[in-house]
Amino acid sequence: MEKNPFKGSKILLVEDEETLAIGLQYNLSDEGFIVDLAKDGKEALKFLESNVYDLIILDLMLPYLDGFEVAERVRSRLLQMPILMLTARTAIEDRIKGLQLGADDYLTKPFHLQELLLRVKGMLKRKMWYKTSTEILSVFRFGKNVVNFENLNCTSGSKKFVLTPHEAMLLKYLIERKGKIVSRKELLENVWQISSEIETRTIDIFISRLRKYFEPDHNSPVYIKSIRSAGYSFNDEKEK
Amino acid sequence: MKKSHSLFYIILAFIFAQIAWMGLLGLWIYWYVSNNIIFEQVGDKLSPQIMIDSPNVFVFVGGIILIASIAVAFFFFFRNLTVQMKLTNLYDNFIANVTHELKSPLSSIQLYLETLETKEVLPEKRKEFLEMMMRDSNRLKKLIDSILEISRLEQKGISYNYHIYQADEIIGRLIKESIEQFRIPPSAVKIEGRAMCACVIDKDAMQIVLDNLTDNAIKYSAKQVEISLKLSSNQKRWMIEFADRGIGLEPKNHKKIFHKFQRITSKNIPNVKGTGLGLYWVKEIIKLHGGKISVQSEGINQGTCFKIELPIYQTSKKYYIKSLLRQTAKNQKLLEKN
Repeated sequence: MEKNPFKGSKILLVEDEETLAIGLQYNLSDEGFIVDLAKDGKEALKFLESNVYDLIILDLMLPYLDGFEVAERVRSRLLQMPILMLTARTAIEDRIKGLQLGADDYLTKPFHLQELLLRVKGMLKRKMWYKTSTEILSVFRFGKNVVNFENLNCTSGSKKFVLTPHEAMLLKYLIERKGKIVSRKELLENVWQISSEIETRTIDIFISRLRKYFEPDHNSPVYIKSIRSAGYSFNDEKEK
Repeated sequence: MKKSHSLFYIILAFIFAQIAWMGLLGLWIYWYVSNNIIFEQVGDKLSPQIMIDSPNVFVFVGGIILIASIAVAFFFFFRNLTVQMKLTNLYDNFIANVTHELKSPLSSIQLYLETLETKEVLPEKRKEFLEMMMRDSNRLKKLIDSILEISRLEQKGISYNYHIYQADEIIGRLIKESIEQFRIPPSAVKIEGRAMCACVIDKDAMQIVLDNLTDNAIKYSAKQVEISLKLSSNQKRWMIEFADRGIGLEPKNHKKIFHKFQRITSKNIPNVKGTGLGLYWVKEIIKLHGGKISVQSEGINQGTCFKIELPIYQTSKKYYIKSLLRQTAKNQKLLEKN
């Protein structure tokens, strides 16, 4: 078996389905992760108050507080906490809502064990990559926008807001490849660290969010441009 | 979002149409009255030699009746439409709930199968995983059975299997099975009172009733479940009072919970599983037994009590109960023949 470089990482598993939770806990522990299990939204928040985690796996249909509310509360306090939503809901509206509330990834039930483990490792890898690359590029300015990659605080003119870790990672990846065309496949594989065969819509949702934040008019973007049939390209030099 | 918008437009169209009908009615009356005055006051003076009938009262009244009927019909059409929209909404929720109820055990089974296939699992863990898979496949079976049974029940394709039993003896037996099935400690269930009478019931259907009530008591108890079962009887009927100490129920939901697809969503509810079919099924089964079911609860965190009333054999609903027994005998003969 491939050695897990993230052995010892702490994961909070929030799942109310007992049998599924036990199976997941077994597999994650077997991979070397330390897993705490919360059976509902309230318990999840209690665990988060008293422990530090590297990642949260979050079911959506939970008693007391649903997964959306938990994600929202987690995101308001722990900006860089990777959240993987795990749910039976497949509607695109749920997926968009989950991603908008700060989830970094979304996996629908029933899922393949290997895919789940790959996504978990991918998210932990991204977290680490983000941490190291932030040390090199901490504040970036383009147009009227200023992005602080350390605390994720941004300003766009007089507007102030905070990016989610995933939004920041995507923006950083595009900035680091300024002027070059970056395909959706490349973004999925390097930023999301998942197979591009799974989905590409997630990328589009995140790009549209970044445009709303930073573009003067998000319908005709200046900085993050779509290159037809190729992907996206970041450019902060004014067109002549 | 779209649905609430379309409902808004329907309400707007309904109000507009009603105003239009009323306006037309008003204009009609105005036209009739003013014409009548002209005929009476002026017509006579201007051309006394011409015999003109005043406007026809029959046409006037007939017209009013027709317009009023259209308005009433329109009102019923609107009411029906809103009921249909509510049902569609409930049905959508049902689909979402069933999807969740199907996918959750399926994911769990898939997870254990993949674990067993890809990892070396210790024998005792292996046994535990197989038990988990059995639990999930039973859950799937139950869900599928309930959907199929309810559909059969609604199409009146009921398989009659009614027999005569001693009321408190059969209930004691059935509740024992529910306790075992849901793995509740026997001390958590108390049976009080007696119903020393004969009754006619379908044992399997009554088991479904008690299973559903027990399942609900477990689901809606924030702590360890406590159930008390009180049996009693009067001259014509015998009663089962099935009470728990769970999260209770607001009075506005007392009737709602027996509606098809209906689920109460609240942040106080410690469990989100369910399809909204269980209590509807219970109510239909009790109805088929010639009885009725109601719920009582003092409110949130005050527990819930389901009261089931059933006819005593040869004392109440004699003709109906005999028809159930006749139908059972007929079915058995058919089975023996085949």
